[in-house]
Amino acid sequence: MALAKAGLLALVLLAWQLASLLWGLPDYILSPLAILRHFFAALGSQELYTDIGASLGRALPGFVIGSALGVALGLAAGVSRIFDGAFSPVVFLTYPVPKIVLLPLFMLWFGIGDLSKVLIIALACFYPVFINAYYGARSTQKILVWAALNMGAGPGRIFRGIVLPGALPQIFAGLRVSLALSFIVMFAAEMINARSGLGHMIRIAENSLRFDLMYVSLASIAILGYAGDRLLALVREKTLAWQERPA
Amino acid sequence: MKRLAPLLLVAAILLAWEAIARSGLWNPLIFPSLEKISRELVLFFTRPESLLEAWISLQRAFAGFALATLVGVTIGMLMGRSAWIAALLDPLFSGTYAVPKLALFPIFIFVFGIGSLSKVALVFLECLYPIVIVTSQGARGVSRVLLWSAANMGASRAAALRRVVVPAAAPFIFAGLRIALPIALIVVIITEMVSSADGLGYLVIYSLSSLRTDRMLAVVVVIAALGWLLDRALVALRDRLVYWEKLETYYL
Repeated sequence: MALAKAGLLALVLLAWQLASLLWGLPDYILSPLAILRHFFAALGSQELYTDIGASLGRALPGFVIGSALGVALGLAAGVSRIFDGAFSPVVFLTYPVPKIVLLPLFMLWFGIGDLSKVLIIALACFYPVFINAYYGARSTQKILVWAALNMGAGPGRIFRGIVLPGALPQIFAGLRVSLALSFIVMFAAEMINARSGLGHMIRIAENSLRFDLMYVSLASIAILGYAGDRLLALVREKTLAWQERPA
Repeated sequence: MKRLAPLLLVAAILLAWEAIARSGLWNPLIFPSLEKISRELVLFFTRPESLLEAWISLQRAFAGFALATLVGVTIGMLMGRSAWIAALLDPLFSGTYAVPKLALFPIFIFVFGIGSLSKVALVFLECLYPIVIVTSQGARGVSRVLLWSAANMGASRAAALRRVVVPAAAPFIFAGLRIALPIALIVVIITEMVSSADGLGYLVIYSLSSLRTDRMLAVVVVIAALGWLLDRALVALRDRLVYWEKLETYYL
């Protein structure tokens, strides 16, 4: 079954490899096996790890800061009318604005180092998490709150026992979006201006026509993005073990 | 009051900005005054060159978005209504969902050239995912009772698709489009910032490297306004076409 599921992907890879063997592809399109060879060769060198470390050192703090703020403020706006009035209109007003255009401004304010990149990633990650936490908290069933009140639970207890568990599935949906977003913004910021990281690596490779390095960077970011998503899904499964699986 | 609140906050931010700009604590290069920014904003709208840059960016975003809509809605419908197409394509889409497609851009430059085509191709690819995923959810969730009654009243498969499945999935399709439209603008701006000689993203980078931060901020304001206006326009279109279902939450 797993084989059948991977069937289309395997077919595409096979056709790609065959095309390169039979007709030869242009220099800038390597065959899958060649990409694999270059990737494993790069795994033996120090530079790839330095770049991966630099990239993760920007994406992860940005993701953590932005998501933490998003969860905290989103839940606060979801349960309290005062916070709702203070935050939600601004967040919803600025939500469709592409946050990456602020990168040059952040570079002016916070320097061209890592701080401006971490902050722009955090800003981009904040939005999906805020919105999902907000709607997660707002969709709390009133009858559960009433029942808890009836049994003498205080506001703190209600928040921990009802609002938070109810909002968690939505919060995880937001985290999934923002994790993917953190990698995109990190890559964009590094392509625009950086001295290290996978985005920088692909720019250097592009400028010096090192197609092998281009694909190594591409493979690394693809694997990181996929692994991060799987890891988050695993945490979600552990945290939401009580929830029925969506069909 | 609810509509006024965001305006109040924007006004407060603008006031704070002007106070900082006039305090003299920071270099005017880092905090240009509102007066300078608005002068550049007026210049932006009176200069045909800068309007042309905006038009170029919009064209790229629209081309990729329209293509992704066409292909994405078709694929999503097929995945939602046919089990074997879903089994075939689902691993492909869910497996590559979390991979930043932006990393393909340098390769796209070699394949499609440095002009508009590589940017449109990337916009298409990035927009395709949310549209396919949300559309297939909508098409899959069509109530069976509705389909049965349509078949009972003698509707052909094509008629059932047109009269039942498409309207039932329409709110989902628009939810997907609403996620994809800001992405289209983001990808165009990023690709223009990374490698381009035209478009709004290029204008931002060019103004920054010539240390015209007031002009850069004016362009940032224009891009932000574009993102907001495009979203409003899409919502207005949605409310006209899907008039039977009110937009309950902002997000979906």
